[in-house]
Amino acid sequence: MKNIIYTIIAISICLISGRMLYSVIGGLPASLYGMVLYCILLQLGWFNPDKVQQANQWGIKHMGICFIPAAVGIINHFELFQKHGYSIVAIILVTTFILISFVGILVEKYLTTKSKPAADVKDY
Amino acid sequence: MSFDNINLIDALILTLMTLALYQSISWAQQKWQLIWLNPMLFSTIVIIPYLLVNNIDYPSYRDSTQVLNALLEPATVALGFPLYQQLQHIKRYWKELIAILALGICIVMIISFSLTMLLIHQTEIAIALSLKSVTTPIGITLTERLQGDSSITAFAIMIAGFSGAILGPIWLKFINIRSDIAIGLAIGTGSHVIGSIILSKNNLNQGAYSSVALIISALLTALIIPIIVPLLLPLF
Repeated sequence: MKNIIYTIIAISICLISGRMLYSVIGGLPASLYGMVLYCILLQLGWFNPDKVQQANQWGIKHMGICFIPAAVGIINHFELFQKHGYSIVAIILVTTFILISFVGILVEKYLTTKSKPAADVKDY
Repeated sequence: MSFDNINLIDALILTLMTLALYQSISWAQQKWQLIWLNPMLFSTIVIIPYLLVNNIDYPSYRDSTQVLNALLEPATVALGFPLYQQLQHIKRYWKELIAILALGICIVMIISFSLTMLLIHQTEIAIALSLKSVTTPIGITLTERLQGDSSITAFAIMIAGFSGAILGPIWLKFINIRSDIAIGLAIGTGSHVIGSIILSKNNLNQGAYSSVALIISALLTALIIPIIVPLLLPLF
């Protein structure tokens, strides 16, 4: 329970600082400044990674709930999908595979000699 | 928060209903290990007919569930933790990694935006489809900032996620790409969290690489899209 509160406070501090940064310099959305700041403060040891780990992973695992209000907005687009559904899906598929091939080919060519196996994977 | 159009009890009921629905679908997904039983997708499929039958329009639903939408921001901040965890793995080649991802994102963003403008002629759809490879919380935030349509983004992100996660590894094998790092980074960039989850089931290395790629590529997209869209817009 203590760790949950610790995680909430850590994330809130980063988000509030992100908002302040955004209001001063603009640019990225506030939450992205918050994300980078959170990563930096964990790296510097200002926040204890062991304490946030559990609650943080729980949060990431369940964050899908926040997307539903946006996703339901599809309700206003039945007509668009009737008219352009195939084009939309085709554009998504084609560009996704261009991106995957591009990154895959370049990484295979330039980075494979430098890499070592990445260790611990956290599920989220 | 504003509750002008709705009353609080209805808002509470709709929010709790959404929560319960999401939780039961994700429980079923876990229990039977069905990756395709995506809780966001199936909750949406249940909620839309419910709203239509009960004559609830989208603005009222959205206002009622604004608490959930407000959680997008802390959820995005929480992604800083996996970024921190993976940082040591990318230290050695971060410059090359950023160069490759930034180039790929630029090219694909230009193609998606232009194709959509040519075929559908709607800027808000073009913006949404340009953001389809970004992890959902960041994709939705960016779309709303650029006045795109975030429901299309949510839909597109899901298609990009499942198609790339399921067919991507087969395709990469076919074009002779076999290293864990190339497969992980490629699928993470194209298919974000869904790709990462599916890769992690078979190969933890690929999963780890894909989770780095999805966060870095989301950050790069946030930096690149406000530059590219204003450049492309006058062309159409």
